[in-house]
Amino acid sequence: MAGRGYFVADIQLPGLREVAFVRSQVAHGRIRGISVPQTDREAVWTAARLGPFAEPLTATSTLEGFRAAALPNLAEDKVRYVGEPVALAIAGTRAEAEDVAARVGVDLEPLPAVVDFAAALAPDAPKVHDDWPDNIFATTAGEVGEVDAAAREADVTVTREYTLHRQAVVPLETRGVIAHYNRSTGELVVWSSTQTPHMIRDMIALQLGMEARSVRVIATDMGGGFGAKCSVYPEEITLAAIATQVDHPVRWVEDRSEAQVASTQARDHRHRITAYAAADGTLLGVEADILVNSGAYSVHPWTATMDATMASAMIPGPYRLHNYRFRTRSLASNKTPSGPYRGVARPAAAFSIERTIDELAHELGMEPYEVRIKNMVRSEEMPYVSAANKVYDSGDYPEAVRRATALIEHDAWRKRQRALPASARRRIGIGYGSFTEQTAHGCLEWAARGLAVTIGTEGARLAMDATGSFTLSVGIKTHGQGSETTLAQVVSEVFDVDLDHVTVSHGDTAMTPRGDGTFASRTMVMAGGATHGAALALAEKVKRIGAVLLDEPVDNTVLRDHAVVGKKDSVTYARLAKEFLFTPDHVPGVEAGLEVTHYYRPEVQTGAFTYATQVAVVEVDLDTGAVKLLDYAAVEDCGTVVNPRIVDGQIIGGIAQGIGNALLEEIVHDADGQPKSTSFLDYLLPGATEVPHIKIEHMATPSPHTAFGVKGAGEGGAIPPPAAIANAVRDALREYGTQVNETPMTPERVWTALQLSATTAEASNQATREATR
Amino acid sequence: MNEITVRMKVNGRAHTARTAGRTTLADLLRDQLGLTGLHLGCEQGVCGACTVMVDGLPMRACLTLAGACEGSDVVTIEGLEGPDADRLRDAFSRHGALQCGFCTPGMLLSGHHLVCARQPLDREEVSVAMSGNICRCTGYNGIVSAVGEALERGIAAEEAATATWNDEE
Repeated sequence: MAGRGYFVADIQLPGLREVAFVRSQVAHGRIRGISVPQTDREAVWTAARLGPFAEPLTATSTLEGFRAAALPNLAEDKVRYVGEPVALAIAGTRAEAEDVAARVGVDLEPLPAVVDFAAALAPDAPKVHDDWPDNIFATTAGEVGEVDAAAREADVTVTREYTLHRQAVVPLETRGVIAHYNRSTGELVVWSSTQTPHMIRDMIALQLGMEARSVRVIATDMGGGFGAKCSVYPEEITLAAIATQVDHPVRWVEDRSEAQVASTQARDHRHRITAYAAADGTLLGVEADILVNSGAYSVHPWTATMDATMASAMIPGPYRLHNYRFRTRSLASNKTPSGPYRGVARPAAAFSIERTIDELAHELGMEPYEVRIKNMVRSEEMPYVSAANKVYDSGDYPEAVRRATALIEHDAWRKRQRALPASARRRIGIGYGSFTEQTAHGCLEWAARGLAVTIGTEGARLAMDATGSFTLSVGIKTHGQGSETTLAQVVSEVFDVDLDHVTVSHGDTAMTPRGDGTFASRTMVMAGGATHGAALALAEKVKRIGAVLLDEPVDNTVLRDHAVVGKKDSVTYARLAKEFLFTPDHVPGVEAGLEVTHYYRPEVQTGAFTYATQVAVVEVDLDTGAVKLLDYAAVEDCGTVVNPRIVDGQIIGGIAQGIGNALLEEIVHDADGQPKSTSFLDYLLPGATEVPHIKIEHMATPSPHTAFGVKGAGEGGAIPPPAAIANAVRDALREYGTQVNETPMTPERVWTALQLSATTAEASNQATREATR
Repeated sequence: MNEITVRMKVNGRAHTARTAGRTTLADLLRDQLGLTGLHLGCEQGVCGACTVMVDGLPMRACLTLAGACEGSDVVTIEGLEGPDADRLRDAFSRHGALQCGFCTPGMLLSGHHLVCARQPLDREEVSVAMSGNICRCTGYNGIVSAVGEALERGIAAEEAATATWNDEE
């Protein structure tokens, strides 16, 4: 708040020079040649010049039939999306680097582009990767129970097609990388705005053919990430490789128009869902056909099938669903590669199942929230193994719905809705979205999705220094989540010390034990679990030291108020540490060292399941299609709440992003694959006026599987807003039967859907009148 | 490249800088004066992370040419001081009005300008007044609360001061 943040763009190094990339301006094309003016030869790097120093990274998968394609560091033969890096220029300032980059000529033969789902699947579609038989990264399928039998039994069947269009992730700070090869120490230091510093270090070492001991990655302050900064990017590998070949550090800071095409994107799902239900609203079976447009390349470590496989696993949602059949196809296209974005696939999965639950309710003339309560897993069934083989660990899902109806004052809104005159041009609707949020998954869970890197452990090192204060070093990278506070709280809890005696060190691979990073709502469970383990082990030792100094049995000691307290006397941590570290001979019988490193691995590999129900109340303008949020509430259960303000901040921030997903944000492409939303002028983000005051209630059922019973809370807020808001719009337009099955629900889309449904309604009224005549 | 000389006061200190004519105020402040508290979020004048005060008005430093600020009085987040700034920073901390901190300098400068106007505003009006600054983390609830509270406290402090002055009279 004083302007002392320290982001990649703020770093000053002697001799630092700036990089500007030359990027593909076409979605699909063959590179015929690259021309560089003679005077710029030294400043410009192309694939040919870079090739000897860095291998491209192939993000492969263990899924059967998965087709891998290397993600080029700089494009060599073909370009496959607008924004793909082709060359780069180095100069004293960014402006000068852009001048040099502008003089690089790229001779391209444009090829027809594969843009949308239908184009990618067409039998005569152009191939994104020439040696593939089609444009499919992989297909998965499965069935649990007997869906055909459920279909025969059903009193009501609904089939709907839902589309969540493509989004940019948009951390407000774009990506940025500095690479510096220190010739005196032989160390390559890379600063990157990344959620996963240890992973970046490993992959830079491997792609550059170096030993990892010579590579250090530092993530300083970060202006958000939300998933856009947890893949390994070509820019990171390229800058690292160039730094080893030049005698100065190099920096690249992504500008916004680059970020809108070159940072990984998300969503771009189309699901066809058929649900079968009994007359009383019991959900009997679900079929899901899932298409995900994954863009041009598979990114490390997530792969191009992450979204589709996760969607298939999460569509059963919080429901007792016994008969479930799915197929997923992950498609290659001439769009920016897809990567994780807050919620990963779950906003789409929740949209599909939650919209469908509402459609069933409308068919059956029931309140949608009642259909939810009827079908949800009950607290007495916990732990519950879902149709997708996930272990739902604890909680009371139906109770969250009941509390949500109270928090939003459901009946009062229904009354206001009914009181509107038939002539009203602004209609009110109420919509619910419930979900389970898988957090902090273990290795087997990632392996099940086909990842070659099965993330799933996290390290923490806790040291007490000679003044009795604590330094906690963790492998995660906090970037706005407040993990410095919440992890310090764990130490504080074990040692009974104030938070300002604990420093949390993170983001520097040379200073922290190995960890996978901050994503997948995993930090509090995984790094919290590692911190807890380290703190317990160190506490045990501190008590033993205290016992010697106090001359009392260890069993008589407790840790209280910055001290080891015995029955007769106490010794402060400050005195204890000084005695033990300055004069170890004063503490006979205790082995040296006042620090502990602990690695955490979850016992239950499918993670800890946070759940919530969110409710939106909207006003829809029949004349313009504009949707306005009148009220919004969330009842959520992320287990034990470590820090209420931080959890609320994550939920509200997530809901704001979900509102963007629901109503505003879309990367639009034209038929040639040209993105048309590359600035904030045409890619709309929620502002202060788009996010209402959000009501939150916590339930806090501890997870039986984690330290302190905590569950992750980072992503949940962002998962159900598209579903809840779409259900509310559908409810508002109920008399027209308007289907609201696409995001973002722009005024144009809502208005058009309303016109189509009004026409259909008019036609069917006409038919009824004629039939009865 | 056309070089120009720009004289301006920044956070109370006089500066004379030689720079390319095309240099923006943002680049001059960040690269030549080392004032990296203003951030570049979009460089299109939309996000507001680069907001600085120029002659008493909040401006987008990314869209303002340094040369256009000849003779101006510029205040950046590093120089934002006084009772209103203190109250605003305090309210931001308590209301969870920041997470990653990237938008925060711009939010504080825009919020400060609003607070100093002493115009009583309700929650919705504060939202409208702050809608020129984008935050991707917090969902704005805390920001709107914090600015609203700092505004109320600013008005209350002024009224108290006026009352005391009247009493003394």
